[in-house]
Amino acid sequence: MRDQMNPVVDRILGNIDKVMTGKRNVAELSLIALLAGGHVLLEDVPGVGKTMMVRALAKSVSAKFRRIQFTPDLLPSDVTGVSIYNPKEMEFEFRPGPILGNIILADEINRTSPKTQSALLEGMEEHSVTVDGVTHILDKPFFVMATQNPIDYEGTYPLPEAQLDRFLLKMKMGYPAPNEEMEVLNRAQRSLPIEDLQPVVSLEELRGLQQSIKEVVVDESLKRYIVELSGRTRSHSSVYLGVSPRGSIALMKAAQAYAFIYGRDYVIPDDVQYLAPSVFAHRIILKSEARFEGITPEDIVNRVMARVPVPVQRLVK
Amino acid sequence: MKIVKPKKDAAYFLLFVFSFLLLWEWLRPLKELTDTGHISIFLSFVFVSLMMTYFNMPAIPGALIKIIIILYSVHTMFYDGAFFSFKWVSGLFTEVISNANFIVNANWTEISNEFRTLLFFILLWLLTYLISYWLINRKQIFVFFFMTLVYITVLDTFTPYNADAAIVRTVFAGFFMLGLLSYYRMGLKELAKKNLYSAKKWMIPLAAMVVLSVGIGYAAPKAGPIWPDPVPFITSYNQDSGEGSGVQKVGYGTDDSALGGPFIGDDTVVFSAEADGRHYWRIETKDVYTGKGWITEKSDTAMPVEFRPEQPIPMQPFEPGGVKTEERTSTVTPKIGYPHLVYPLGVKRVDAGAGYSSLQFMLDPETEKITSLPDGQSGSFGPYSLTFDYPVYSVDKLKEAGKEDMAGEQNAAFLEKYTQVPEGLPERVVNLAEEITKDKQTWLEKAQAIEAYFHSNNFVYDQTNVAVPADDQDYVDQFLFETQRGYCDNFSTSMVVMMRSVGIPTRWVKGYTEGDYLDTADDGRRQYEVTNNNAHSWVEGYFPGVGWVPFEPTQGFSNNVQFENNTNNTPSTTVDNQEDVTAPEASKKPDIPKEQVQADKPAASVSERLKNAGAFLTDHFGKILQTLLVLAVFLAIMYRLRGNWLPAFYILLYKGKKQNKYLEKAYIVLLKQLRTYGLKREDGQTLRDYASYVDSFFATSDMSRLTAKYEEYLYRGEREEDMWQDVKKHWENMIRKSGA
Repeated sequence: MRDQMNPVVDRILGNIDKVMTGKRNVAELSLIALLAGGHVLLEDVPGVGKTMMVRALAKSVSAKFRRIQFTPDLLPSDVTGVSIYNPKEMEFEFRPGPILGNIILADEINRTSPKTQSALLEGMEEHSVTVDGVTHILDKPFFVMATQNPIDYEGTYPLPEAQLDRFLLKMKMGYPAPNEEMEVLNRAQRSLPIEDLQPVVSLEELRGLQQSIKEVVVDESLKRYIVELSGRTRSHSSVYLGVSPRGSIALMKAAQAYAFIYGRDYVIPDDVQYLAPSVFAHRIILKSEARFEGITPEDIVNRVMARVPVPVQRLVK
Repeated sequence: MKIVKPKKDAAYFLLFVFSFLLLWEWLRPLKELTDTGHISIFLSFVFVSLMMTYFNMPAIPGALIKIIIILYSVHTMFYDGAFFSFKWVSGLFTEVISNANFIVNANWTEISNEFRTLLFFILLWLLTYLISYWLINRKQIFVFFFMTLVYITVLDTFTPYNADAAIVRTVFAGFFMLGLLSYYRMGLKELAKKNLYSAKKWMIPLAAMVVLSVGIGYAAPKAGPIWPDPVPFITSYNQDSGEGSGVQKVGYGTDDSALGGPFIGDDTVVFSAEADGRHYWRIETKDVYTGKGWITEKSDTAMPVEFRPEQPIPMQPFEPGGVKTEERTSTVTPKIGYPHLVYPLGVKRVDAGAGYSSLQFMLDPETEKITSLPDGQSGSFGPYSLTFDYPVYSVDKLKEAGKEDMAGEQNAAFLEKYTQVPEGLPERVVNLAEEITKDKQTWLEKAQAIEAYFHSNNFVYDQTNVAVPADDQDYVDQFLFETQRGYCDNFSTSMVVMMRSVGIPTRWVKGYTEGDYLDTADDGRRQYEVTNNNAHSWVEGYFPGVGWVPFEPTQGFSNNVQFENNTNNTPSTTVDNQEDVTAPEASKKPDIPKEQVQADKPAASVSERLKNAGAFLTDHFGKILQTLLVLAVFLAIMYRLRGNWLPAFYILLYKGKKQNKYLEKAYIVLLKQLRTYGLKREDGQTLRDYASYVDSFFATSDMSRLTAKYEEYLYRGEREEDMWQDVKKHWENMIRKSGA
């Protein structure tokens, strides 16, 4: 028995479906991050539709879409923007960088220098950028979707684990199924339909949705459940560094958003379980022995979930 | 499910033949163990029923034929006259009605044979139906086969039924049926490949294996039984005699041919009495010891003597002038209607109360048992009063009595009769008797030495841990040399045998002790109450010139027999356990432990009460254990079957509950029930996930609907009024399913 989807969310996802074949779960997760006010790290090989996904999402909500293609020679100012002297006005004028948009695609974030990376990550965390001593508040919603290519190692600067913590979700696109891929080919024959995509939600509406997500009830028993889950990742024998309290917050917020898009005003354990791998996996650092054994952080999350009892009774207060 | 009926080939026919054989095994023991006759008729009924199934007789004509067979059989067994006259039908009908009443009133003993036969036929009908169902629909017979084996083995173990051959037959038939049915089941599963399993390919190895396994089982050496055969014990238990072997209720009984085994106390009052003094109550004596117990030698010469109340009783226990007597009277008021009288030694006359005009008595001179014949037939009557000579034995005269007085032709038969011991009496019994009496000169001293021997500490009075002699064992020998533990029968019988071994004529006497002292009446007469617990046996030895003298070998008992020593001319009393005979309290209650005697005293201290409680526990240990056992079995069954009644119980429990908090309770109960059912929820499994699993299992949607509401209650909080009311229906559906 599935819940009834929130009509606004249903509209957005329907709109994305017009250009994306399959990948509904990725769209859903991206939307969760957007609604929960977090950011997404997409890790996958090129050509599976990462950019398309983000653009479709941006188009659907009539947001300002910016794209930053990270290269090794990119400078922080290329991200944040620069003040340049305007000879006519006789003063410096701020030329906003691509970060001052609503939805930003940070492509191949691991290919740029740590200096430039941190410029972006600071903006993500502080919701503001400071250029030449002037602080510029970023627009809301502010949603960064970073991608990273897992197969290139030469000339890359992998994101430090501490930085990864700032992404609400990390996910993989994955290849489409054969029939989906055929549909992709069919669509590619006609034209790139993304140009025809019309916004279905105004920014105002989107902010409203973000607000109502905060109203979604998380029962004490579920908070305890989340805390128990992250706690178990910390004490797990294969784990070097477990999930931080920020990770617990992230899981709760994501679960709220998930419950919301399925039309519920309360979180259930299923929401938590569905999101836990995406929220927790990139926050866990395995011990090297475990890595050699082929254990992945996702395995750890799944094992922990299998062991922590789901709350099925009310907490006695 | 579509029932695929097997082809009617030889194998299928064999199935029915073997079913018939198995059912036959159920009927066989009935003839031996119960009073069931006409086994062949029942057997033919079974046969006809099975044949009807074999030939696929339609249900209604088949039932009609069976009913006609049943009626005809009942008619031939119980009624005269022509079957088609139908006169007997009304008789049968009233029979059924009245028996139905008996059943309703739990009046089991009244149920007539006709009705029992009818019920038995119906039972057989059900059984054949069940077998047909197992054979044709389920194609499984193991349960029935196993039950047959259990039935036979239980009967073999606990009854005299010998199932040696029955086991072989059953195993043979059962194995064959199992093999045939698994052939049919396999055919069902793989219909397409059926030709692969040709009957021959299956049957020949099957037959070979059955024959081989039965043959090996038959020929193989078998371990001996772990416990001794319980059958002798059980058969003795079933005899309603008071003093056979086995566990019995204490009391008077007529059959003493197999003594031994434990006793259960019984304080049913047999009679109450008013007497001048304390004395034992006799009923009868026995003279032939068989090695296992006592029987009466039937002689042609001694004919029963009849006499009327006013006539003197033709019984002379004392030689004329041999004993100083004093006349006393006792009054007996029977509480249980025995036809025999109880009387003291030396009884002269019985006086019945008014209203017994045609009263007569019959004395069996062999056993000295007096039977009352109130209306020409033996029956009970009472109250009655007895006049008797209370003997005071002269020690001097007793000392003079000896073997030399018994010489002569006329005494030879008497001597032989009362010094009889069985041929198989072990030598060591005689040796022991001679050893005890070797320094004693007179019969009196010898008798007293033997009597005293039993009062030594080696012997223990016990009613419960009393052995039954094995087949090749002598009752007395076992008591004297192995157990040294027993009650009156052990002591008295042993003393009789030992006295006879040294040549003193002795007989074994049965009756009651003086009873429980109640009160002393105004005229100084004592009132006693005699219960089954007071049943007793003791010894009388014959002293020439004096008569019969009672002895009391049993530990803890005393007979009030007075001996007079002529030298100082004061009557002295020998009391077996040095108790003051004049004190009425001293009359011991024979078969009640001492603790309980004390319980009657009004002011019992705490320790005494504790003791009493302990005594109560030990006394009723069997009953308590039985009750606990029954309770435990009941609980175990209830627990085992909890799937059947728990759901109904829970539905009832939550029926009237409206508050939302019961949603949680009921849901948790449901989770538990489902787990018992076998649908396990993992720790990390969410309710929603589990619900869809459960629903897919039962092909319902109730669990998901219920769970959605419960999730809301649990994770969102109680916001609606009637959350529980809304989903109760789903919950009830689920909990019912969980019990099925």
